Amino acid sequence: MSQEKFSKSDALMGGEPSAEPLQDDSLLRSAVTNRVHVAEDDCIEMRRLHRFFGETRAVDDVSFSVKRGHVFGYIGPNGAGKTTSMRILATLDLPSYGDALVDGFSVVNDPEYVRRRLGFMPDAFGTYRDVNCQEYLDFFARAYGLVGRERNARLKWVLHFTGTKGMAEKPIRGLSKGMKQRLCLGRALIHDPTVMILDEPAAGLDPRARIDLRRMIRELADRGKTVLISSHILTELAEMCDTVGIIEQGRLLATGSVEEIQHEQATHRELTIRILNDTNQAAQELQARPGVQQLIVDGQLIRFEFEGEVEDQAAIVAWLVSRGFDVAEVSSHKKSLEDVFLHVTEGLVQ
Amino acid sequence: MTIPATQAEDVGAVPQQSHWLDRIDRACERIGDSLNPILVKETRQALKSRQFVTTFSVLLFAALGWTVVGSLSLMPQIYTSPSAPRLLIGYYIVLAIPMLLVVPLAAYRSLEGEIDDGTLELLSISTLSPWQIVLGKLASAMLQMVLYYVALFPCVAYAYTLRGVDLPTTLLIMALLIAAAVMLTILSLFFAPLARSRTGRISTLLAVMLVLLLSEWGLAFLVVNLILFGNPLSTGMMFYIVTSALVFALSIGHLLLTATAAQLTPESENRSTHLRVSMLLFSTVVVGLGALAIQMFDRAAVDILLIYGIVAGVFWLICGSMIAAEREVVTPRVRRELPSSLFARCLLTWLTPGPVTGLVFAVVNVVALAMAGRIAFRYLFDQAATPAIPNPVNPLVMAFAGYAVVFLVSVRLVIGGIRINNNPRVEVGLAALIAVAVVSALVPYSLGLHFNDYREYSYSGWQISNWAWTLLEIFRGRNLEREVLVVAFTGLFAFLGCVLATPHVVLPRRTATPLRVKRERAETGT
Repeated sequence: MSQEKFSKSDALMGGEPSAEPLQDDSLLRSAVTNRVHVAEDDCIEMRRLHRFFGETRAVDDVSFSVKRGHVFGYIGPNGAGKTTSMRILATLDLPSYGDALVDGFSVVNDPEYVRRRLGFMPDAFGTYRDVNCQEYLDFFARAYGLVGRERNARLKWVLHFTGTKGMAEKPIRGLSKGMKQRLCLGRALIHDPTVMILDEPAAGLDPRARIDLRRMIRELADRGKTVLISSHILTELAEMCDTVGIIEQGRLLATGSVEEIQHEQATHRELTIRILNDTNQAAQELQARPGVQQLIVDGQLIRFEFEGEVEDQAAIVAWLVSRGFDVAEVSSHKKSLEDVFLHVTEGLVQ
Repeated sequence: MTIPATQAEDVGAVPQQSHWLDRIDRACERIGDSLNPILVKETRQALKSRQFVTTFSVLLFAALGWTVVGSLSLMPQIYTSPSAPRLLIGYYIVLAIPMLLVVPLAAYRSLEGEIDDGTLELLSISTLSPWQIVLGKLASAMLQMVLYYVALFPCVAYAYTLRGVDLPTTLLIMALLIAAAVMLTILSLFFAPLARSRTGRISTLLAVMLVLLLSEWGLAFLVVNLILFGNPLSTGMMFYIVTSALVFALSIGHLLLTATAAQLTPESENRSTHLRVSMLLFSTVVVGLGALAIQMFDRAAVDILLIYGIVAGVFWLICGSMIAAEREVVTPRVRRELPSSLFARCLLTWLTPGPVTGLVFAVVNVVALAMAGRIAFRYLFDQAATPAIPNPVNPLVMAFAGYAVVFLVSVRLVIGGIRINNNPRVEVGLAALIAVAVVSALVPYSLGLHFNDYREYSYSGWQISNWAWTLLEIFRGRNLEREVLVVAFTGLFAFLGCVLATPHVVLPRRTATPLRVKRERAETGT
């Protein structure tokens, strides 16, 4: 069976992967590299998730899990498949193949149980005209079946938590983007879900609003909520996420904690060496050494990508000194999440 | 996340000896809690919206203006001669524009806006069911209608006091207006989620506006005639028409609402069974009203039954073609809810989603209605008072049923072929039906025309697949017994072949519900 022949029906028939799809080489590879987690404390679980739109593989064999109370950062360029997989998890779309579980409930077979546990904040606001903030939240509280005192208490708490209490009576139309984001976060929180899915919540926010959002998300995780968040602002994700997943062209390229991923990529570092005498000659000789790539000479500074361990780095310095170059300064730049992202992905879009 | 006790306590805290106003307030809140959330939201929105304020103001000013202008124009005869008809026509126009145009269009825009703005997705992941969403939209539209109606009621009462239109006619006009407004709102809601592309939406909007304008014009024609010339029908006929119109409106309204809810229901859930129950209701209504017509009338019953036969035939062809185009996959979710006992499996499997069960369901309904028609006509034919019953009814009914079954089986096969590499919507089934019907009629007719040197030629057995000509010839009284039998048996064999070729799909088995789901149901009491 070719990959393109898979349809939603495969997922609808049960969602469990069969042996047939593995005849495809690419699928075989990804099946080996992607772990399928099954654990009691996993709150979100993607099981070999696929979603095809015609020939386009929006999500291509993605498997990962998120532990209860953790914040998982979903990183990827535009068109990588983040939103598609988040929409599947939010029961708004069906996978072509595979399944996703929230608290052990399948998004394909038991969407209503998933929905009760889920707060979804899409990248679009989804607001109404001619209603104010309180009425908006009140409506969604009613839509989730909250009544009477419970609803009033939840409303009050959400307005307080998201900092929208002061504008409860204001019409949504007049709110700033940051305030609308807060309101939408409040809407996603109104029924007290255990899992939050936030699609690009920080997009277009000013620095202060982003800091506030980060604080709120961390607070939610501290209160035991599992958060799946996608963002382009990687420095922020690195600070708030317990684990991250890097996705490109529908494929999950790396997953784990930020430290784990950085450690995996640690052999690939950027070195800067200041040579006081004959920098160009030193650069020429360095270029010939194994593990040295993308060398740039900037005055007395030589910058290059170096593939090797710390010992190899020390050997290079010793070798330069032995060759008679005056090494005045050596600095090694540890890779940030952004560097890791750039290294892992190829900037491909589909 | 738990709510801090201090916060929970200060909200809605009940004092020991509360004031009677507080008690009323709490009672109102309890009533509000039991209302559909969509109704609450839509009402809040509507009361603040420019559209409602403008429409309501224009309605009030127009009614006031017409009261003054209309009354002055009738002076001084207004004191001596009956003057209600002219004023009532004006009031009807003032009320009909918001009720038959503005409210249905607003309901259409409201549901379409939910889809456009992405709020429908947010609602679909809440605990609201698609039925609640649709009913909420309808209820809020009806609330607006009531407000418009109540605002104009004193004017109608004033017109009645001027004499010239009797109370039953006035009430009939108002009832017609309300029923038409509700039906048009339901129809507009049905159209709203139909198209997803921009071009489709524009086409749908144009179609809705065309239907609304035609209905506005048609009803105005009827109402003005009723006001000016009175009701020409006998009491019995009037009772029958009002009853049948009301029952048909309820049946079709339920079907359209169910279809709208089905369009909003996720793909993995059962979208078909409720629709089939609604269609079954329609068949029952047709049979019931037919029986009532036989009991109430003699010769007129034949015409009524013929009209019902055509309506039911077209209805089942349209619905059957779409049911036969359903997805073959019965999801694990749906399998869990299948009937499990032998008795329930025997009776309710027809309601299980899927194209083959759908085909069986549609064919059984077509054949059952055809048999009911035959029995009804036989009964009428045996009555001494109805000697003019047309003879060709029996072969006509048989031939129509045969063609219907063959067409539905053809649709099933065509869609089965399309489904190999595509995932077509059920509406494609209707397109396939039209294609099959056109081809089966046009091809033999064109061939016949060609072989007769493009001159007129008479009907022959070669035109058996030309359903239009065959049915017309039978209706004209021509004896086509052999052709009718061929069509009927072709339908029978095609149906049996189609069903026997896919027995595992016809009788899908119930699967067990996962323990996790059972536990959850027990905990939440769902």
